[in-house]
Amino acid sequence: MVKKLIVGIAVTLAATFAIAAKPVNDQSAPGFTGVTMTGETISLADFRGQPVILEWTNHECPYVRKHYGSGNMQKTQRAVTEAGAIWISIISSAPGEQGFVGAEEAQRLTAERGVYADHVILDPEGEIGRLYEAKTTPHMFLIDQESVLKYQGAIDDKPSANPRSLEGATNHVLSAWAEFSAGEEIKTAQTKPYGCSVKYAQ
Amino acid sequence: MTNSLASVAKGLASAIFALLVLAFTAFGNQAQALDLGTVDVSHSSASLHSEYQVLGAGESHWLGLRIAPREGWHSYWKNYGDSGAAPLFYWTLPDGVSVGEPLYPIPHRMPIGPLMNYGYEEPSVLLLPLKIDETFSGNAIDFSVDVEWLVCEIECVPQDASWSGQLAVGDMEPSDAARGLFAAARAALPELPIWSASLSIYEAQSRLKVFLDEAEAPNLSEAYFFPAGEGITEYAAEQQWSLTDEGLFVDMKRTVGGLEAEGGEGVLLLSFADGSKRAVEIDAELQVQKAMADAGAETGMPVIEATLPLWQAIIFALLGGMVLNLMPCVFPVLSLKAFSFISANAKTASERRQEGWAYTLGIWISFMAIVAVLLIIKSGGAAIGWGFQLQEPAFVGSLVLLMVLVALSLSGMFNITVGVESAGQGLAAQSGNKGAFFQGVLAALVATPCTAPLMAPAIGFALTQSAPVVFLVFSLLAFGLALPLLALSYSTSLARMMPRPGPWMEKLKEALAFPMYLTAAWLLYVFNLQAGATATLALLVGIITAIFGVWVWQSFAGQVSRIVAVVLLAGALAGIIYQPFGGQGSAQTQSSSEIQAYSEQNLAQLLADEETVFAYFTAEWCITCKVNEQVALFTDDTQALFADRGIVMLKGDWTNRNAEIASLLADYGRAGVPLYLLFPKGSDEAVVLPEILTPGIIKDAIEQNT
Repeated sequence: MVKKLIVGIAVTLAATFAIAAKPVNDQSAPGFTGVTMTGETISLADFRGQPVILEWTNHECPYVRKHYGSGNMQKTQRAVTEAGAIWISIISSAPGEQGFVGAEEAQRLTAERGVYADHVILDPEGEIGRLYEAKTTPHMFLIDQESVLKYQGAIDDKPSANPRSLEGATNHVLSAWAEFSAGEEIKTAQTKPYGCSVKYAQ
Repeated sequence: MTNSLASVAKGLASAIFALLVLAFTAFGNQAQALDLGTVDVSHSSASLHSEYQVLGAGESHWLGLRIAPREGWHSYWKNYGDSGAAPLFYWTLPDGVSVGEPLYPIPHRMPIGPLMNYGYEEPSVLLLPLKIDETFSGNAIDFSVDVEWLVCEIECVPQDASWSGQLAVGDMEPSDAARGLFAAARAALPELPIWSASLSIYEAQSRLKVFLDEAEAPNLSEAYFFPAGEGITEYAAEQQWSLTDEGLFVDMKRTVGGLEAEGGEGVLLLSFADGSKRAVEIDAELQVQKAMADAGAETGMPVIEATLPLWQAIIFALLGGMVLNLMPCVFPVLSLKAFSFISANAKTASERRQEGWAYTLGIWISFMAIVAVLLIIKSGGAAIGWGFQLQEPAFVGSLVLLMVLVALSLSGMFNITVGVESAGQGLAAQSGNKGAFFQGVLAALVATPCTAPLMAPAIGFALTQSAPVVFLVFSLLAFGLALPLLALSYSTSLARMMPRPGPWMEKLKEALAFPMYLTAAWLLYVFNLQAGATATLALLVGIITAIFGVWVWQSFAGQVSRIVAVVLLAGALAGIIYQPFGGQGSAQTQSSSEIQAYSEQNLAQLLADEETVFAYFTAEWCITCKVNEQVALFTDDTQALFADRGIVMLKGDWTNRNAEIASLLADYGRAGVPLYLLFPKGSDEAVVLPEILTPGIIKDAIEQNT
């Protein structure tokens, strides 16, 4: 009873003081650790000193398919990884839900689609997804060398699943990356993501 | 006769037809009256309709797109919520013809796991305005349109369809076939805005205020706001509503650091006790109430006086009270309490529990006394707020005396035996029930100026409420302050963990005197600013007299010396309270020439002159204010920025009582300082900065508002 009381108070106090790590631009990006499709355990902290791109994905989502089927996502990945960024794709689909894959399937998909991501994290519990409040696939984040969040939102400004919409679309990730690499302020640093909902466990 | 019969028959036929169309609209997916065509796609079907068979040049017409998702699937509103997509239209039209943004039926809420979507689980009709210029001379419009819409169950499948054809232009003629569909579509739209409204955006919350009369919404069981734009609410969070004689309020949780709000449009859905519903469009005036700063996010809770639900105020009060334990002004007193706790294993469990409650009672009674005095003064019409007792030099002076005596006692000059229990030497004397009670009193007295950010909403709320509510909220605040030590007093295992008493305790006791001396020094500084140097000298003399009195009491046995000691102590206290040499303190004259003193008139004049004004409200006894001024406001960078932007600084000094400042604080829902306001050039709407400032917050606020 007394123990419970003390624990209760400690928790309340902790909750009062904990600066909840939330994905807020120009603040420290929430730290996370995850297991990749190759069985490696990686943390955001491992990449301090390098910019990091996070991409929420679900290979069966039509909006994701638009970007992978057309090669747009691979093109984006290639451009920023060759310029020195680390690209981490994260799959937060729960087991049994759309887009959930095991390690082998993830590796097959990566090879088959010619993906340039450095790591693919399997997050079936949705922990990292909830930490970043990832809402849709795709949902993109750009984190700088100091682990500060610089961009979050949609991949581009055309909320459509039709590959035609890529023509004339502004790729928010690439434009944020260009401004960021040039040391300029990112003009469009936050947008509303579009696409399928992240298939968290119900 | 035949003519009229024929027209009746025709009317009947068309009425039956309209009913059939209605029925199909409601229940059928396929059997839609073909108008411009129905397309079956994988997971839904869609049909396009025109209200008129023959359109008129120079007129606006309506087209309808009916989307019927498969059973269990849904389509989306224009704001899809957390995930999804609104329908997209790609028109190809001749010159002089245009199609505008669709009108959407009343959306539904569709929670999906931790996310929320807005849309339709059943067939819905979007109304598309088609406008034909007067100059349009053709007799038909060749149109084609590609439409993409998304339907989801849990998985999502985008749907594509195209329509093309000709719309006749000439003498206008409505389409009988489409009449029912358009009538039903119009009935499903929200009502046009009939109430004016405002939408206030705070850091972590937004509040919709709709100016409707209570009588307009009798038996309201729920109010829900569907915002059309981003940056207003976290969709999955619950909304709180309250209907008062001032109007309807809907409070929404906002993502801290999320997208900025750009508009106040949306749909308000009212549900009533009898199951009926009413949806009305809202076009609220957007009021951004905060600097969109990137830091200080945790302090952004707005102060909402009248309508903060009571249970929330109570929780804030309880949490605020607990947070107070960590505040610098309470710490010295806590060190006393912690000290008595270390000796806890010299006692039985029930003794400790009793002490815990005595401590709680001490805090509670003190809070009640302060609140009672506050209410009495307030009812007399004086404009005062929380921390008012520190505006009274006599109170501050007495507190200095108290701190010095307690500190001296800890230092070992003498033992204060609080209360009248047997004056046993040593530790137990200080930690009996009465000692605990007075430690509670002391904690409450010195805690009051530390209005933690968490407490501000509760206090702001409480001071506008009826007396029983005020006492309830402050009781919870008192309980919160007492709770950690009270809880510890119940823990036997923790008491067992305490080290054994020994000589080290004497050293610790002496060490703990120093925070008390520091507190006394700070209070002396406040007193000096309030009452002036002469009064400070008198206070110091009074304190020394009191110490002398204590020394006499301790050193000489016998009635006479006791009487002398009591007279000395009483005289010293009376002198401090009466303040024969009290004068105007230096606080009023402290402002440098560049900083103007705040007055309503001064502010109004500056705003009329279209100056950018930064007004800050502070008090010498407010530690948060002082820290903000040191680390953020009076840094070289911030001052250079102010000079560069030609910002006029106004200082409202609340060290002493001031009705104008109190009323301004009340306007912003505050019961105390600090308060930071930035008035952009030419605006009399202030941007409210957080209570804890950093140079970055000030810089961002200035850059975004000047």
